[in-house]
Amino acid sequence: MMRRTVPAMATLSAVALALAACSSGTGSGGDDAGPDGPITLDYWAWGTAQQPMVDAWNAAHPDIQVKRTDAGGGTDSSAKLVTATRAGNAPDVAIVEYNTLPAMIVAGVAADISEHADGLEEEFAPGVWSQVTFDGATYGVPQDAGPQALTYNKARFDELGIEVPTTWEEFAEAAETVHEADPDSYITTFAPAEFGGFAGYAQQAGAEWWSVDGDTWTVDFDDDASVAVADYWQDLIDRDLVLAEPLLTPEWNAKVNQGEVLSWPAGLWAAGVLYGIAEESAGDWAMAPLPQWEEGDPAVGFQGGSAVVVTTSTEHAEAAAEFARWMGTADEASAAQIEQGQYPASLAGQELTLESDPPLLMPQQEDYWETAAEITRTTIPEISWGPNVNVASSAFQDAMSTAVTDGAPLRDVLTTTEDEVVEDMRTTGFEVTQK
Amino acid sequence: MSAVTDPPSLAYRRARRRWAAPYLFLLPAGVLFIAFLAIPICYALYLSFRGMRMAGGGPFGVRQETWVGLDNYVAAFTAPELLAGLGRLAIYGIIAVPLTLGLALTFALLLDLPRVRGARFARTAIFIPYAVPGVVATLLWGFLYLPSTSPGNWILERVGLDGVDVLHGGMLFPAVANIAVWGGVGFNMIILYTSLRGIPADVYEAARLDGASEWDIAYRIKIPLVAPALVLTGLFALIGTLQVYGEPTTLRPMTSEISQTWVPLMMIYRDAFTRDNLSLAAASSVALALGTLVVSVILLRLTQKRSFGES
Repeated sequence: MMRRTVPAMATLSAVALALAACSSGTGSGGDDAGPDGPITLDYWAWGTAQQPMVDAWNAAHPDIQVKRTDAGGGTDSSAKLVTATRAGNAPDVAIVEYNTLPAMIVAGVAADISEHADGLEEEFAPGVWSQVTFDGATYGVPQDAGPQALTYNKARFDELGIEVPTTWEEFAEAAETVHEADPDSYITTFAPAEFGGFAGYAQQAGAEWWSVDGDTWTVDFDDDASVAVADYWQDLIDRDLVLAEPLLTPEWNAKVNQGEVLSWPAGLWAAGVLYGIAEESAGDWAMAPLPQWEEGDPAVGFQGGSAVVVTTSTEHAEAAAEFARWMGTADEASAAQIEQGQYPASLAGQELTLESDPPLLMPQQEDYWETAAEITRTTIPEISWGPNVNVASSAFQDAMSTAVTDGAPLRDVLTTTEDEVVEDMRTTGFEVTQK
Repeated sequence: MSAVTDPPSLAYRRARRRWAAPYLFLLPAGVLFIAFLAIPICYALYLSFRGMRMAGGGPFGVRQETWVGLDNYVAAFTAPELLAGLGRLAIYGIIAVPLTLGLALTFALLLDLPRVRGARFARTAIFIPYAVPGVVATLLWGFLYLPSTSPGNWILERVGLDGVDVLHGGMLFPAVANIAVWGGVGFNMIILYTSLRGIPADVYEAARLDGASEWDIAYRIKIPLVAPALVLTGLFALIGTLQVYGEPTTLRPMTSEISQTWVPLMMIYRDAFTRDNLSLAAASSVALALGTLVVSVILLRLTQKRSFGES
């Protein structure tokens, strides 16, 4: 799922939405026309691809009409889902990011849809499917996937004579070249609040922050792989070779528009976000596989991506599950996603991209979707998120921001985060081993 | 008298009516008070002793609400973020409160001078920022602060100087406080100005006959006479400081220096909604509310004798 493009405005719209949500008071199930009339499903989803998808569904399914509400981006929407579930007025269906899904299960928001999931598994690659199945039960239908890639300003790379780096070592060398050639420009940004991005880099290096064996969780944020990733970025920050500031601020957007930020290693959705803030630079950009920690090892992690979840509050579980399946697997739904620059999670949807035009940010890159398909084939198959990613991400963001501001060691941030995550899990009553 | 002439039953009914009347008048306010203040407060108190704990086994067992005693209070008071947040509030308050009150009083006194020109326009101009919603004001100032969008930096760069980034380093506190001062001066100025207009003119006349200058009048007559209003605005400013939330939250996406627990209310929001720990948030809220009450009572005690006289 695409990020909110302007966080500052997101705060504003979240306030407006919260007010709207207070006044509308939609109950679960919506307004039923009667026992035989059409069912209305409430659906919470953000991003530009959703309304066209919902419209297509509504046109094809007169008996099950869907009403979509934009309840804010990933974090806001999930927070509201939890409160709405407790208040008994949650929607029937909602979008949840993969890394938040475990928290939604533990909070009793996401329903087990295993009985409606016949034949669903074959529609997805194993790495994607594992994001929605826990303990053998299925809790959602994958909708979009965000394998990490390198979206870069090809025009500026060419101007400075830089080859696209294939390893992180080459990336660091390129960072040096960029900054020497043009002191105002940086190869990329290290945004302290980008928990998902850092998690992706660490997963690529082999980190496993949460793992579960039977009923016992093991939490290990400061393993060797993650520490190596922290040290890598530490070095680039210390040498002033990357821009250490938040993303998507008016400040950052201005720098991207001026061509002073040369790349963004992030989920495949980055193309859509960058197009939103730097439309005029379309055609300058291109996408390549993410640099590797070790040459010849093409594994990458995910950043973002989301599933369609049926809530425990719904009175129409079957209809809701049918809608969720359609949103994740129907060709019409995939086509609407591709058009908006979102990468479908289903194998059929990914097949469909090969016949599509490249995203608006890089209309000249003919092999965009082939490259995307190749990257997707090499994503790490099994990534498990813990039940309190929300605690981890908020602890990480604050500790990382402080470390970057004060010049403290980034690797300590991982230990701080781990301590907070473990303490929270112990308080809640999970069995946890800390490594 | 009426009891003598009227039949006893009528007197009884009248007495009862008299007894019921104040309660009837109190009823609407009472119902609203109970529904929207007393019950939520009691519920928050109740929640602060509850917590979500795992029920049943399994790595993804569902959590249920149970009684946890004082756990939440222990967690709230031992959280280093809460203390750090209060520390930041103190710095913010030391900048914002005196500036807001000082500027408000200065403007009110200036507007109250005899034969001042353009008073109505100036009064409106000073008051208008108060009418701008806090989030809008913060976004507006945020754009003025960010180096790439700041007109101040644009000018500095044209002159050949380095731009300043006020959202990082030592300028952050003044930058956040500035937004509150900008929005708050007008409101406080109106209160003080209204209070100044309430002073009878013959007091000034007498002072002038005794040879007092405008400065003497302001310092020896006006300020002591508006002291109650000053205490009131001071109390508002203090409570407003303890409740700072909107400005730093809105500025947060623009700088790495504002954490999610920058001030206590931001921490309460994070615990309640980002971390789904309503009980901990309730405990912190109760603690913060009690703290506010204590500080307010101390402030009133300290200033009451001087500003409100013996009573």
